[in-house]
Amino acid sequence: MERRKFLSMTFGALALATVPASVRAEDWRKAKPTVWTAKTVDDAIKAMYGDVKLIEEGIKIKTPDVAASGGAVPVNVKSSLKAKTVALFQDANPESAVIVFDINKYSVIDYDMKMKLKSVGKPITITVVVEGQDGKHYVGKRTLDVALGGCEG
Amino acid sequence: MAGFKIKAKLKNGVVSVKAMAKHAMTTYDIAEKQTGDRENANFIFHITATVNGETVWEASTSQFLSKNPIFKYKFQGIGAKGDKVIMTATDRKGKTLKGKGKIK
Repeated sequence: MERRKFLSMTFGALALATVPASVRAEDWRKAKPTVWTAKTVDDAIKAMYGDVKLIEEGIKIKTPDVAASGGAVPVNVKSSLKAKTVALFQDANPESAVIVFDINKYSVIDYDMKMKLKSVGKPITITVVVEGQDGKHYVGKRTLDVALGGCEG
Repeated sequence: MAGFKIKAKLKNGVVSVKAMAKHAMTTYDIAEKQTGDRENANFIFHITATVNGETVWEASTSQFLSKNPIFKYKFQGIGAKGDKVIMTATDRKGKTLKGKGKIK
C-alpha cells in the first residue's frame, strides 16, 4: 500500500514537472496553504520554496519612503530574471505572504499593486523572492515607514 | 456583481494593463472588528488574465491587498490592438469576479 502510494506520488510530481511553463497555472493558495498562514517572512519563504539559498540580486522594489496610509501602499516590483514565480512578503502584518505571481513566457515582471501594511511603530521590510528558471532563488528587499493604519481598515 | 475595470495599452511590443477590482477585501481582523466574526472575512484568492486563451498574468493573493485593489502588469509576445484582456478572480467565499478590456 505504502509503495503504491509512493509510486503514484512520484508520477504526480513527474506530470507536474513536464507541463510547460506557459500552460502550468498554479493557484498557490490551494497548492501551498501553509505559505499563507506563516507569520514570519522566513517561515513563509520556507513554506513556499523550502530551505533555499537566497541570492541578493536582480530585483527592484519601489515604494514611497513613508506611506501616508497603511491601507493602500503602492508597491512596484521589477525584475528581468527568467522566473517561474515571484513571491512578495512583509514583516508587519499578522501573516507575511502577500502575493505570489506565476510567471510564463509572456510575463514582463513590472508589477504594481496596492497593499495593506500595518503600522507597527518601526520600519517595515518588504521581501520579494524570485524563483528562477535556473533553479536558483533571488531576493530583493525594501524598507519603508508606514504612518498609520493598515490591516485594521 | 463585482468585477474588473481593465485598461490595456500596446506600445513597443509590450502591453501594459491597469486593472481595478471592485471588492471590499476585508481581512480577518477587519471582519472581527466590524462584525465580531472572523469568518466574515472576504478577499480575493486568485486572479488570472488571459489574452486569446493564453494566460498573461496570474497571482495568488492574501488578505493584505487594498480595498478595491488596483493592479498594473505587463506582458509581451501576444495580443494585438483590438484583442481583449480577460480577467477572472475568485474570492474566499467562492464568488467569481470577471472583466475584460480591449488592447488599445
